Amino acid sequence: MPYRSVDRRRILAAAALGRSLDEPGPAHDEGGAFQAVTGELLDVSPHLILIETPEGRHERLVIAPWATAWRGENVAPADLPRGANVIIRALRSGRVVDRIWADITRITGVIRSIGAEGRDQTVELYCGPHRGHRTIVVPYGASGRLRVRHPKFEPGYLFDAIGVREDGVAKARLPATSQPPYRWTAVPKPPPGYGGTQSRISGTATWSDAFDYAERGAAYPMLERSDADCQDAGVSCTGLPYLALGSTLTVRNVCAGRTSTLPLAACGCMAGRFCDRCLECGTSPRGRIVELSATSFVELGGDLTKGCFNARIGPG
Amino acid sequence: MIAVAQLPVLCVLLAAGALAKVWTARGDAEPGALGRLGPAVLVPDRWRASAMLVCAAGEAALLAGLLASGHPAFRWATAGFFAMSTYVLWELRRQRPDVGCGCFGEVSAAPVGLRSLGRTTVLTAMAAGTVWAPPVSGWSLLTAMTWPDALAAAGGLVVLAALSPEIEEAAARIRHRAPCEQRPMPPEQALHRLRASPVWRAHERLLASGEPVDSWRELCWRFFVYPGRSRTDEPVDVVFAVYLSGRHPAVRVALVDAAGQPVDAGTLTESIPVSARG
Repeated sequence: MPYRSVDRRRILAAAALGRSLDEPGPAHDEGGAFQAVTGELLDVSPHLILIETPEGRHERLVIAPWATAWRGENVAPADLPRGANVIIRALRSGRVVDRIWADITRITGVIRSIGAEGRDQTVELYCGPHRGHRTIVVPYGASGRLRVRHPKFEPGYLFDAIGVREDGVAKARLPATSQPPYRWTAVPKPPPGYGGTQSRISGTATWSDAFDYAERGAAYPMLERSDADCQDAGVSCTGLPYLALGSTLTVRNVCAGRTSTLPLAACGCMAGRFCDRCLECGTSPRGRIVELSATSFVELGGDLTKGCFNARIGPG
Repeated sequence: MIAVAQLPVLCVLLAAGALAKVWTARGDAEPGALGRLGPAVLVPDRWRASAMLVCAAGEAALLAGLLASGHPAFRWATAGFFAMSTYVLWELRRQRPDVGCGCFGEVSAAPVGLRSLGRTTVLTAMAAGTVWAPPVSGWSLLTAMTWPDALAAAGGLVVLAALSPEIEEAAARIRHRAPCEQRPMPPEQALHRLRASPVWRAHERLLASGEPVDSWRELCWRFFVYPGRSRTDEPVDVVFAVYLSGRHPAVRVALVDAAGQPVDAGTLTESIPVSARG
């Protein structure tokens, strides 16, 4: 079936069912909204940062005295290198920098093969039909920290880490989860839904770099395979309702108390296979139910280096 | 005799409705979760659970009155309650064609159809019939039930069961152990149901092609989009929405132009009017 535009689906569904056509965006009843600003770092001083956004605009932001930056490790904002791709959590209508992540990437996939390159290891991962295969480097210095959270460091098992992009190569730095103990093809079935329909489901929200840095949207595992052109979709260890690309999803960060309505823009076929728990503010009751773009994750109050937050989702 | 025998049937329906509503409203911790159950959707979000509980309290009061006394006031009130329910469901179907009636809580999630409306109409008639029946309390009727009374009551229950889409959904849940939103459903099956529906036959001549250009599933609905032409011969998308539960599922249709604005389908025979307003 040819798949057209995500926006068009939303309009057509609203017309057929007589629903109101609400634009996706943050819930308005919450003050002090975070704004995510992305771009290439042009210049930085201890108090000011100048970036070029993907649209080509130059943005000058004030760095708050408490602001910190991350590029493989915590650094002072003024030490970030020129040319780094940054994502900034900004306050006060996007003018004041609260936190900066530079060249950050999320490496989520299935281990295909493991090789060695000096003391470092190279790992080939399968990241779903959309992202395909990618090869990453596990530096020797980070391997202990990663291996202790990935005890099954062998082909066929899931891998999830946060790293930095350096010279076009993704280097893993931090484990993003405790690795599930099963093979990626042996995801436990969700518990049978004896009860009725749950219109709000609690679980883990993570972020993914399957989106562009500045894109706002979510990836969801429970899509019909024929609708999403994704042969790995429709698998989840949580009983989730079917939605489609183009549906909207209300995502609430339970830890930070922020809510936003996001369009489903990608297939979360890897997220559905992680029955892990998020320990951000108490243990999440279920595994991964949604993957967010980095921008949406930051705007909902998430910390990219922690990798997840406890979320409650419902159809938009 | 047949009229008074429907009194226990009304009591059973009122008790089931009240219990199911309390169960649904209490089991719902998150505001907004009743967003797909009517008629609570007609009130603002924060009052939805309260509206459902008030409705359940009304049913419980009527039930207590019918059981404890034979006074015609309770019978009139029951008839009025069901008559009002019929009007509310009619209005719900017009304003929000995607939501369920909520008559038995969240198991009544299927969109309001002619069967649900037929059921409240039959209940109104049953309640009105009891007004002129002998003034005996429902309890004394239940304890001293004769065989002819029991047969008449069973007949009433069969009619109501035939008009209850909830029974199919409950049977499917027992069989699959999952609500409709979580059950896999092949698109071909939904397409078959669409093509067997009167809505399809009424709009078929507007379609420029017999094959859908897009199809997707959202919760318990599957959508099919066909290229078509409106009555004024402008190109439009004809979008059908098919409910995925039940033997004769609800089918909705809308015509949307290239700019995303709904277009009036015109006065087509057999079509179900769809309001594009929210």
